[in-house]
Amino acid sequence: MKIVIVGAGEVGFHIANRLAHENKDVVVIDRNPDALRRVSESIDVQVIQGSGSSPLVLEEAGVKSAEILLAVTNHDATNLVACLMADILSPSTRKMARIREADYDQCYEQLRSNAPHIDTVINPEIEVVKTIDRLMQVPGAVDVNDFAEGRIKFVGIKLDPTARLAGVQLSDLPSMLGDNRPLIAAIVRDEKIIIPRGEDRLLADDLVYFISEESKLLDMLVVFGKRSEPLKRILIIGGGRIGHRLTTLLDQRSVSTKIIEQNPDRCNLLAQRLNKVIVLCGDGSDQGLLTEANILDTDLVITLTNEDETNILTSLLAHRMGARKTITRVSKFSYFSLMTTIGLEQIVSPRLSAINTILKHIRKGQVISDISIKGEEAEVMEAVALETSDIVSKPLKSVSFPKGAIVVGIIRKAEIIIPTGDSVIEPDDRVIIFANRKAIPGIEKLLAVKLEFF
Amino acid sequence: MRWRYIAKIVGVLNIFFGLTMVFAVLCGLYYADSSIKPLLVSMGLTIGAGAALFFAFRGSKAEVLTQREGMAIVAFSWTAIGLTGALPFYLGIESCIFVDAVFESVSGVTTTGASILTDIESVSKGLLFWRSFIQWLGGMGIIVLSVAILPFLGVGGMQLYKAEVPSPVPDKLKPRIRDTSMVLWKVYVLFTLAEFVMLVFGGMSFFDALCHAFTTMPTGGFSTKNASVAYYDSVYIDTVILVFMVLAGVNFSLHYQAMKGRPLTFWRDAECRFYLGAILVLTLVVSLNVYGDAVYRSIWQALRYGAFQVVSIVTTTGYATADYEQWPAMSQLILLMCMFLGASAGSTGGGMKCLRVMLCFKYSYKELFSLIHPHAVTHVKISGTAVPDDVMRSVLGFMVLYMGLFAANTVLLAGLGVDFVTAIGAVASTIGNIGPGFGMVGPVENYAQMPYLGKWLLIWCMLLGRLEIYTVIILLVPEFWRK
Repeated sequence: MKIVIVGAGEVGFHIANRLAHENKDVVVIDRNPDALRRVSESIDVQVIQGSGSSPLVLEEAGVKSAEILLAVTNHDATNLVACLMADILSPSTRKMARIREADYDQCYEQLRSNAPHIDTVINPEIEVVKTIDRLMQVPGAVDVNDFAEGRIKFVGIKLDPTARLAGVQLSDLPSMLGDNRPLIAAIVRDEKIIIPRGEDRLLADDLVYFISEESKLLDMLVVFGKRSEPLKRILIIGGGRIGHRLTTLLDQRSVSTKIIEQNPDRCNLLAQRLNKVIVLCGDGSDQGLLTEANILDTDLVITLTNEDETNILTSLLAHRMGARKTITRVSKFSYFSLMTTIGLEQIVSPRLSAINTILKHIRKGQVISDISIKGEEAEVMEAVALETSDIVSKPLKSVSFPKGAIVVGIIRKAEIIIPTGDSVIEPDDRVIIFANRKAIPGIEKLLAVKLEFF
Repeated sequence: MRWRYIAKIVGVLNIFFGLTMVFAVLCGLYYADSSIKPLLVSMGLTIGAGAALFFAFRGSKAEVLTQREGMAIVAFSWTAIGLTGALPFYLGIESCIFVDAVFESVSGVTTTGASILTDIESVSKGLLFWRSFIQWLGGMGIIVLSVAILPFLGVGGMQLYKAEVPSPVPDKLKPRIRDTSMVLWKVYVLFTLAEFVMLVFGGMSFFDALCHAFTTMPTGGFSTKNASVAYYDSVYIDTVILVFMVLAGVNFSLHYQAMKGRPLTFWRDAECRFYLGAILVLTLVVSLNVYGDAVYRSIWQALRYGAFQVVSIVTTTGYATADYEQWPAMSQLILLMCMFLGASAGSTGGGMKCLRVMLCFKYSYKELFSLIHPHAVTHVKISGTAVPDDVMRSVLGFMVLYMGLFAANTVLLAGLGVDFVTAIGAVASTIGNIGPGFGMVGPVENYAQMPYLGKWLLIWCMLLGRLEIYTVIILLVPEFWRK
């Protein structure tokens, strides 16, 4: 599969890296030679210097033989033109564009059906707001993802030392909890992903990923020692595009929301558009202002400025000053591994969101959703089991799964099955598979339709 | 630096290299000659040494390779291959001392073609095959072949590829390095086959045709005859070899483009134009000079031998059909210059490479131009695109290093008691991976008479030339070894 990526920024780089490791043919186009050097020195892809919106450059990159074109430069306009040109050169190529400006929000459908024919518009900011919303709804969760249209949640939580389950061996769970036990898909311990077996133990400070039906989620959290405390007061720092989208959403809910933004003009704009939300103008890392915003009684502080460093430090400061919880926006991937060490657990990243959305669309077969686990070491995929694929109609234990992958859930119509080795996947079931990076190509092959049959 | 991982990869490459000895063994079996035993023993030793390294460090893994590690792997692998490739000669030829065997082997893998064997025709067929075969392997690159064939090298493939095939402007033909390596090897094999068939058609025996095809395409120059190509004294064979030498000196990505149905790429590429133009002009000058000096009776003969020698030296192959030391001084000097010029970047040839020489000329002109127009904004351009400054800097650095190392090694060789002309000829010829030099090492003599230390010095020069200086010389920089 050949994929052309326009834009070698953080998103382009990480998508290219991921796809190159999965043995796909990737060509990266960018104008900036330094950005390209970073790509060509660390990833096995072809690079072409030039403007991605130029038909000549696109042709040189071989867009005609490409299955997918990804336009992920920083400029919406460049991304649109790149898709338009690719559409003229090669109408059969699937085109995806990252478009961030809110003004385009209503046009996604037109963009798909009219001239640029963009198959998928990716707006990482919308995704980030969704992620924040999910995190707010599941107290104590570090990571929340939806499967089966939200009926199934894939949740990551940090195990507190005081929790009942800390130190418990997994094989003891059924006797301890009976039917109400969580299905644990993975444990992240010391930056390493463990796919647990019966003899593994849960330890304090582990990041535990489990699957749960939406209706049982709150019970599950109680099992893990997390109690739901409703969010009443939220403080948002940074009124950029994401801040704006989030406050617009919260404006309609019955929570008390404040937003701090430094730029007076921006503050004016926000104040004009928002009704209930209180807009404060000033520096979000100023202790006096934070006290004024009543940080001591705030349930949740969300830092969303454009600077990672400001967000991280402000979140730490908010913690110190008494905020109960924080959600921090971090864009640089190299900081992710640092976050748990310094005590910030809830992270959102527009780039990670963009990558998740893009990956979902790139995956072969019938993958419905696809989510990267922190630091992109592993993925969770939800896919339809096709009649012709290798995984159906035999017990799971006789399916040759690649090392590092497990089926964590089977959805059959309304029913959710937690699989054992004897479970059989039926055609048209949806399966949720957890796989680390190395196992992904194998999983893709397993899910794909076998063409030999035809 | 993850030394364990480096050792493991060097081990793997040695196993791989050892396995290729099977072809030489098969050849020995076919001719039922005395080479079978030394070849089998060498094969066992090479694979054994590789396997020992591999199993000693099998536990070490790496996700990505740094450029430094890539260079270290390539430099150590080439040294190891040079040593293990010498085993068949050391064990199989009675008069061969260790340094001679290593000289012959390194001269093979680096596609130099300088020999210490005084009577080539008396050597067994199996060893002669091995001698040509390592040249063929070394031409397109053993590591490039490994990257194409061994999937797990894909991880740091780009780093290894860049260290083995350093090119001023690296071009990837395919998105993935494995596919790029594969494509290059396919083109290479195709040309070798074509030459083999054409040589057989010209009356060469199968064995000789195969060996000559194996040493023309990598621009190596080992022959199975004492008199080199002159032995055949055939216009047809001269022409076939000449054409394939020219082809081997062209950037292989152009061959690939041309095979994909774009034959004009040869003409559009500025370096290729320069390379072909240089061959044409130099051939004419040398032929006329030789004809004027009455070495040959007819102009056609002068042209035949003139063209063959010029092409043989420019492409850094090193076959001989004439003793150019009998030629007038001007022709000899032109051939000496040709040793420095070399073939195109991305070809199997050695030397400084036409592209670098061209860039330096253009850069000098740019400097002159800016003396006349101090405010002019100018760029050095190749085929219509501006060359980035860092590329230009690395090219200039390369030229300085190349000339500096040439000078230093010449002085050292002369210090070992070698005469003036021989020292210059031998170092220019080995660092450019050509083969024949001047004086004691001219086209009808060989390197057997070199002093003991001189041979080691020239072995080092050949490795320097083949890996284009940086990959080898970097090992001598103290900073490289610091943690």
